[in-house]
Amino acid sequence: MPERDNGEVATTGSVNPVSAPGPSRRHGAAALSRDLLRAPVTGRARRDLLFCLAESALAVVVLAGLGALPGLPLAVTLLVSGGQPVPPPSHAHPAGVVPVFALTVIGALLLLVLLAPRAGRGLAAVHGRLAARLLGVRLAGLPPVPAARGPFGWLAATARDGPGWRAVACLVLKLPVAVAEGCAVFLAIFGPVNMTYPFWWRLFRNHPPGVHLQPAVALTPFGSLPVATFAGSFAAFAAGAAMLLAAPWLARAAAAADCWLMRAMLGPGRLTQRVADLEQTRAQAVQDSAALLRRLERDLHDGAQVRLATLAMNLGLAREKLGPGADPAVRELVDAAHRGAKDALAELRGLARGIHPPVLDNGLPDALATLAAGSPLPVRLTTALPRRPAPAIETIAYFCAAELLANATKHSRANQVTIDVAASGEVLELRVGDDGCGGADPSGGGLSGLAQRVSVVDGQVRTVSPPGGPTQITVTLPMQA
Amino acid sequence: MASPQRAPARPGRVMRVVIAEDAALFREGLARLLADRGYQVAAAVADGEALRAAVATHRPDIAVADIRMPPTHTDEGLRAAIDIRRDHPGTGVLVLSQYIETRYAARLLAGNAAGVGYLLKDRVADVAEFTDALTRVAAGGTALDPEVVSQLLRASRYADGLAALTAREREVLALIAEGRSNAGIAAALVVSAGVVEKHVAGIFGKLGLPPGEADNRRVLAVLRYLGA
Repeated sequence: MPERDNGEVATTGSVNPVSAPGPSRRHGAAALSRDLLRAPVTGRARRDLLFCLAESALAVVVLAGLGALPGLPLAVTLLVSGGQPVPPPSHAHPAGVVPVFALTVIGALLLLVLLAPRAGRGLAAVHGRLAARLLGVRLAGLPPVPAARGPFGWLAATARDGPGWRAVACLVLKLPVAVAEGCAVFLAIFGPVNMTYPFWWRLFRNHPPGVHLQPAVALTPFGSLPVATFAGSFAAFAAGAAMLLAAPWLARAAAAADCWLMRAMLGPGRLTQRVADLEQTRAQAVQDSAALLRRLERDLHDGAQVRLATLAMNLGLAREKLGPGADPAVRELVDAAHRGAKDALAELRGLARGIHPPVLDNGLPDALATLAAGSPLPVRLTTALPRRPAPAIETIAYFCAAELLANATKHSRANQVTIDVAASGEVLELRVGDDGCGGADPSGGGLSGLAQRVSVVDGQVRTVSPPGGPTQITVTLPMQA
Repeated sequence: MASPQRAPARPGRVMRVVIAEDAALFREGLARLLADRGYQVAAAVADGEALRAAVATHRPDIAVADIRMPPTHTDEGLRAAIDIRRDHPGTGVLVLSQYIETRYAARLLAGNAAGVGYLLKDRVADVAEFTDALTRVAAGGTALDPEVVSQLLRASRYADGLAALTAREREVLALIAEGRSNAGIAAALVVSAGVVEKHVAGIFGKLGLPPGEADNRRVLAVLRYLGA
């Protein structure tokens, strides 16, 4: 066994990717050929090929499932008829076997109907995870099967499971794609194998002249290539290199086709997707605007309010220091400046509070308590919030309560207002009631504006306000924007 | 109250103050003002943790704390103030804020309202009244912002009892709840001390509170009545 050949393997084996042309000094054809040569060793090629491998394996599972359809009845019939193949009609006891066969066919079909959508969903989920993990392609999940009660409800829900059946159809339609994916895997494995022929040829085919051996066989997609001579082994090498170079492109194309098919068949319809996108961007917009207001208040608090408070404090100190002998005109000016600074501070506080009451950062109950205590009407406040809603929802609920409380104060002639906030599941409910004169108009400017503002998060306003009262207005909001 | 008041809580001893405020401008202004009024500013810090540490180190007569400080910018100062009242009974706490929040007032006054104060930051601008409040709190009294008191009055469970008071009596009650002495109330309403005493007796009679309490305990009785 000549040692030299091993060395040859080591040096020649690194022909394909590493000796590719260097950095982008060369353009056009050179860069293209470099990319072509490098393609098989990129991470992307590895992931595409892994995906193809996994998909081909899953296709075998689907094929096995499809095969079980006629196979299972056949197997049962064989079992029943005592190991004999299905007898021809002319044979002795057809009467016993045919009904069994028919029954098992019906049974298998029923089983298929009952299990296929669920199995299809399961496999579709596996495909989805593979695509996400290996290709970074996110496929929207199927909508869940509607909840059902009892075994019959479950069966009915399964049989009527449209998306589940779509998943089954998709799995079947994917089979031809899986053939291409299997081909890619074949190319990636047998390409390098074929490329080794020239290296071991001399090791095993060093028989004395005159001995005739069967030609070795190199597998290619276009059939087997017989290799009988050392020169022929180079043909195998060339075929292998071509296969290796083609593998990543076939894998990429097959994976792309596979993803396209899955997206088309399993993904939501265009309209559904659009609605989902819009919902998401709308929630984002609501959150952003709440966060913006919060930041604005914070900036006021840390900036203008601090400066004004310090200014008022310094003017207060200056006023104290003027003493009894000071010029009355100066005193008057300082007094006016001092008063002005304090007024500005109070005004700014009101403004900042209207933008975002900072106590909301501590939760809705604390914020509503101050709101209630600031009301000229007595307010009875109850809050039951086991967990906090999203900040944007807290803000909306707070300003709804503030507006409803202001309405009650202005129009209801009530003696008592109640504010109840409760969360149940994913719904936040704010109820503001009063014992006043009623007659609040849901289509009036105030309430319809309120309804419009809560509709931004799919919230709703219900008004019960018969003439003569009492009034009860209920705002329902989702816990998350 | 135009004459500047020098402010030692006890004769012969300068009152020592710790300040906690995250806005450097206001913190420094406040320190300058207090130094000018004859207080000794033992430390001026910028967050609740540092305040607790400074109080433990310096054992001041009073700590003046902003409510909204880092890291959460919600109620850091309030929590530190409550801890300080519990851990260092000899130190009064006066919390300052841009806003008066009912629940914050309730938490601060829960249990014992002695030696605490809750004022809007604006009140610092009325220097004499502010130092008055500081002195009262350091001596174990109470200083509540008129805004705190009006919220307590509105939120009170005893609206009926309060409704029995005359307008003047409600005014006096509010001033009592702010923590003022009879003399302070007389000065604020520009009436004689005798008139104030008469009103106080009337209020305590109508609300069914024990009469003749000393200033501090009188405030506590009123605050308890208001449900703080």
